[in-house]
Amino acid sequence: MKRKYIPWAFLSIPLTFYSIWVIGPTIYTMYLSLTEWDGMTAPEFQGIDNYLKLFNDPIFYTSLVNNIKWLVIFMAIPVVVGLFLAILLSKEIKWARGYKAAIYSPMILAPVVIGLIWSWIYQPQGGLLNNTLTYIGLEGLTRGWLSNPNTALYAVIGAAVWRHTGYVMLLFLSGLTAISPTVIEASRIDGASAWQRFRYIILPLLKPTTVIVIVITMIQSLRAFDFVSMMTRGGPFNSTNVLAHYMYTEAFKNYNMGYGASIAVVLFAIMFIFIVMYLRQIRKGELE
Amino acid sequence: MNFKNLSLIVITLLMVMVLSFSAAAQDTLVVNTYTSDPAPRKAMKELVAQYEEMNPDVDVELNITAHEDFKQAIRVWLTSDNPPDVFSWFAGNRAGYFVDRGLVMDITDVWEEENFYEKFPKAFQSISVYDGKAYFLPHNYYWWSVFYRESIFEEYGLEEPQTWDEFLEVGETLKENGITPFAIGTKFRWTAAAFFDYFDMRINGAKFHKDLMAGKIPFTDDRVADVFEKWKYLIENDYFIENAAAYSWQEALQFLNSGDAAMYLMGQFILDATSEEVSKDLDFFRFPIIDKEVPVAEDLPTDGFMIPKKAPHPELAKDFIAFLGSVEGQRLFAEDLGRLVTNKNMDAEVYDGLTLKGREMIDNTDELAQFYDRDMDPELADKTMDSLMAFWYAPENYRNIMEEMEAHRQNFIND
Repeated sequence: MKRKYIPWAFLSIPLTFYSIWVIGPTIYTMYLSLTEWDGMTAPEFQGIDNYLKLFNDPIFYTSLVNNIKWLVIFMAIPVVVGLFLAILLSKEIKWARGYKAAIYSPMILAPVVIGLIWSWIYQPQGGLLNNTLTYIGLEGLTRGWLSNPNTALYAVIGAAVWRHTGYVMLLFLSGLTAISPTVIEASRIDGASAWQRFRYIILPLLKPTTVIVIVITMIQSLRAFDFVSMMTRGGPFNSTNVLAHYMYTEAFKNYNMGYGASIAVVLFAIMFIFIVMYLRQIRKGELE
Repeated sequence: MNFKNLSLIVITLLMVMVLSFSAAAQDTLVVNTYTSDPAPRKAMKELVAQYEEMNPDVDVELNITAHEDFKQAIRVWLTSDNPPDVFSWFAGNRAGYFVDRGLVMDITDVWEEENFYEKFPKAFQSISVYDGKAYFLPHNYYWWSVFYRESIFEEYGLEEPQTWDEFLEVGETLKENGITPFAIGTKFRWTAAAFFDYFDMRINGAKFHKDLMAGKIPFTDDRVADVFEKWKYLIENDYFIENAAAYSWQEALQFLNSGDAAMYLMGQFILDATSEEVSKDLDFFRFPIIDKEVPVAEDLPTDGFMIPKKAPHPELAKDFIAFLGSVEGQRLFAEDLGRLVTNKNMDAEVYDGLTLKGREMIDNTDELAQFYDRDMDPELADKTMDSLMAFWYAPENYRNIMEEMEAHRQNFIND
């Protein structure tokens, strides 16, 4: 009898905090999304007006599409490159440790710092990228990377990719160490080629890690905010806006708290799908 | 981390909290300002020190916050139960916003006691008095104009242009010599809005401009098209530096500093931001006249101070406000910052050459405006400035841009 209550006693404190600071505000945000509120006077209930407005808002769609582009690029580049690097560096290569540290190091920098560094790299005059292009004779390719609406989004994502790749590599590296060397050895004795070994032994054994990497990457690309805020503030004319940043602008710059909340709820709903997937995978791992 | 370390940290934190609470409990006048650039920050600090010297029994706590952060925080302060006693703020739509919501204190008594109705030029009453009651203390203001490198103009024998045709001639000469006429950094958009303001005021006049800013006239009006036509000509004929959107206004100063660009349409505060050497080489002229029939108007953003309704020390706050309206309370901003100040009794000797020239220009101005995002509803301004950036990128589409701006205005009206 007593034993049954002990876990709850321990849980009560974190649960209280969690309810006050996470669950409570989440529910309150959902309520706010049904109101009109300038952040100063009392919120006014107005039903689903915010959502109707949202689904007719061109900036909402621009931001959503940008989030999707972000997601696709994040799935393609950091995941693949991270896996490749992990496999490469898990081998006995000279300086492997040094390379790992170097590739992982962007992860320890704050995104704001990375945003600033890359803004300098992208500077049209005297920026590293344009200077390098000029130096190697590709002057025709130089441009204002962050000021041109056609390149700005990709330039911002580029900075985020630089940070995320190291993280993915680290996750895969830890996944690789969990694979028993005897399995690899056995496949080698059976005469499997390097590709076969990768395709039929390593990749299936890496599956739990892969799922986690994919879900984390999805969540990272949906919650993208810091790089956009730091490098372009969603500009030029919303060409780099993403949902999280649009929500921030509406709520805290234009003081449409209710409207901002409705963007937050939509973003939450999209993310929720991925979070459930993630939790399921983790539970599965625990059951095994 | 072991338990001992943890408890040490907890105790330290508790002590810090207790100490800061007891500090806050002391009676002090709290003044929050956004004068965060180095020169205004210094002037504000010295101004407070001056007041403390005059009132030895008053302790002033000055909190300086960066512009953008200040704009966010002020909303929290004003609705909280413990707001600052005095805060710096912008005249125009932004001041009216707080007045409408009953968040700031009526300071008519200060205006009457100090006779600010007489001491300030009449134009400032319209931005300070709402329904017969004064809420705002206009403190200092600056003018907008085309700042230029004197040495470059001298080198090519150029004169300050008065009219649009003269201006275009100057521009062509500069371009022939490989110099971009205008430096501009539009990353944060408002620098571009200045061009909209000036074209509109020069072509359509201040009356039309004010109504347009107030959302009373559709953006699809043909007179707005004239504005974009003129502006488009400059963009398409390379009057601006390349990739302007990549730079903040300060970053774009490098082109003026290096002499790659000759002019910058900017507020007087450009003089605070350039090196002394370049600053000495800067002069300015009034944005050229396009239509002689149109009364001359200028953007003249005014900064001042207000008292929150729930200010804990209203009497002290009012005394401080009275000081800020006096010649003594304005001298530092005039002398050290070269701002124009509102008190008419300020002796002209405190102004340096350019500021005097600015004052002279304003004396010969018929109408005043604040600035695009100070005259307009903040949200409408925010949305339409995006449209201005889209126009900058593809100026030939200005009709679509006007439609887009009009859609934003419709949303604004319906809200």
